[in-house]
Amino acid sequence: MTYILEAKELRKQYADKLALRGLNLQIAPGEVFCLLGQNGAGKSTTINLFLGFVQPTAGAAFVNGLEVATNPIKIKEYLAYIPEQVMLYPHLTGLENLALFSSLAGYKYPQWELVQYLTDAGLPAEAVQRRVGTYSKGMRQKVGIAIAVAKHAKVLLLDEPTSGLDPKASNEFSELLRRLSGQGTAVLMATHDIFRAKEVGTRVGIMREGELVDVRPTATLNAQELEQLYLTFMN
Amino acid sequence: MMHSIAQKEFISTLRDRRFGVLSALVLALLLAATLVGRASYRTLQQERQLAQATVNEQFRNQPARHPHRVAHYGSFAFRPKSGLSLLDAGVDSFTGSAVFLEAHQQNSVNFSPAQQSGSLIRFGEMTVAFVLQLLVPLLIIFLCFGAFTQERETGTLKLLLSQGVTIRQVAWGKILGYSQAVALVVAPALALAAVLLFTGEEFASGVDLAARLTLFVVSYAVYFFLFVVGAVVVSAGQSSSRAALVTLLGFWILSGIILPKATANLGASLYPTTTKAQMDAEVHEQAQHGLNGHDPQDKRAAALKADLLKKYGVDSEDKLPVSVAGLQMAAGEEYSTRVYQQHFAALNATYQRQNRLSDWAGLLNPYQAIRPLSMGLAGSDFAHYVHFQQAAESYRYDLVQRLNGLQASMGYGDKERRLDASTWRAVPVFMYQAPTLGWAWPHLFLPMAALLLWAGLLSWIGLRLIATTPVA
Repeated sequence: MTYILEAKELRKQYADKLALRGLNLQIAPGEVFCLLGQNGAGKSTTINLFLGFVQPTAGAAFVNGLEVATNPIKIKEYLAYIPEQVMLYPHLTGLENLALFSSLAGYKYPQWELVQYLTDAGLPAEAVQRRVGTYSKGMRQKVGIAIAVAKHAKVLLLDEPTSGLDPKASNEFSELLRRLSGQGTAVLMATHDIFRAKEVGTRVGIMREGELVDVRPTATLNAQELEQLYLTFMN
Repeated sequence: MMHSIAQKEFISTLRDRRFGVLSALVLALLLAATLVGRASYRTLQQERQLAQATVNEQFRNQPARHPHRVAHYGSFAFRPKSGLSLLDAGVDSFTGSAVFLEAHQQNSVNFSPAQQSGSLIRFGEMTVAFVLQLLVPLLIIFLCFGAFTQERETGTLKLLLSQGVTIRQVAWGKILGYSQAVALVVAPALALAAVLLFTGEEFASGVDLAARLTLFVVSYAVYFFLFVVGAVVVSAGQSSSRAALVTLLGFWILSGIILPKATANLGASLYPTTTKAQMDAEVHEQAQHGLNGHDPQDKRAAALKADLLKKYGVDSEDKLPVSVAGLQMAAGEEYSTRVYQQHFAALNATYQRQNRLSDWAGLLNPYQAIRPLSMGLAGSDFAHYVHFQQAAESYRYDLVQRLNGLQASMGYGDKERRLDASTWRAVPVFMYQAPTLGWAWPHLFLPMAALLLWAGLLSWIGLRLIATTPVA
């Protein structure tokens, strides 16, 4: 089987901490893989390693079959990334932010299409021409989603993307992930939100102290069982 | 990609109210300094032209007189201001503007604006060069200190890089965008200066001025560019915006205040100059060894007289076709001028060694590279001052020797006679021709090379460092 994301014995040692201890992971196209774990468990490090923002101490990360460490620019064609806090550029409008990031990814959209991406992501039409400095966190997150969608990436790397979003916005986000997954986009999402993971994920992985200690298909568990499993590993 | 990032930085900067206020302030200062510089130039230039015309007229309108009386009556040489000195007054405010030209001695150039003004001028003038050299870099620091730290603090750097751009492309885009913003602040003032220089009647516009102005603008463009690159590199290397700002302000203080003072002090202690009183005493002592035309008992004067009697085959002075006193004056002038020139050359060489030390310091400090370059291009540096000093001395020597020649041709008993008033109208007046850029170039080469070296090395090494900066 061809995996769009793959980690082989991936290990990351910081000066004073072993952040990742030989991670092995494969994610197929259309799959939504949710990484659960406490702060410092290695979730963000895993995402940073797939993005090429940090170099592995050992092992390798692959995106669409390409090793990240040796193809740091090429692999970004396949990736879109949404951080926990999408800050953007406060002096630019939502439209200008989207136009900038899209152009950096190689896409030049006409204005109407940019507006379409933003409103599809849930941003009110009246807000697209306003400066991002006036946006709420949820609105910024929606611009971040529009940036990711407009890139037509094969993989979404999400680092706690629903943190701080209101329930309506979170539900809209889950809906979007389902739609993209249905179109063949793979998703790797680091999250603390067990219920969101159960709702949108096809598989969940539990990380503890840099190790992926358990991986389950979400279809085999209900939310309470997943929570119980999570708490068992955390304790 | 770089263009998109540059455009983002440019638009963001323009929309930032803090930058708006700061840049408006700097622009207002630049425009004010340009207009004040022009007013000051016009006043001083008119004063000097009028004074030069007046003394020339007075010299030409002297009544029938003995030539040596005319030599002691003397004249003045006033130093015309260079057109670009309206942008950079350089050392003009501290060096003299006029020199008294007379027989037997080479006077120093006196009457500097600093001598005639209040004490405030000694604290530095608000010239365009001052704003460009010190305040614009400060604006650049405030503009760029958060170039990377803010991106890192807000997480936008990861978002940018996840789009497939390299960190080096981000850096160059930022450098380009910030440079555009700086150009927007500086360009209006330099454009105004160019318009004033090429349309104002009081300025002698020409190819030389155009070339100097072009190099002036290019030099400052390089200077600002290296500050932009430096600030972006520092921002990339620091962990927080605060640390980046403190580092950059520290460098600004070091380069703009501490190093120039330290270099000047070091130069003065390594190459000490003699005081004016000491130099006068030494010149006087040495001049004693020469021929004194005013003293008939002087041994050398007597020897010259004996030589003349022998040469013309006569036994008494009254039979000579030339005035012995006139030839004695000429010989005395030749000797004393040599003594003065030796001392002035030694003094100027000491000043030049001090300045050279400061020029070499430009390799360590870009401010000390742009300062002499700017002054040199503006025609207001020490080298241009010495050029005037030497031109005035050359004229003085020729004038005095011409008058001594006239005296010699009057024959025996010249002291009892006068030359007609029309004689003085035939004597050429002092006309100063300022040096060209080609003449100034050897003085400008080192600071220009230092500035280019800074820009090249900073771009090369700095951008390599940025490429290794941690993202997460």
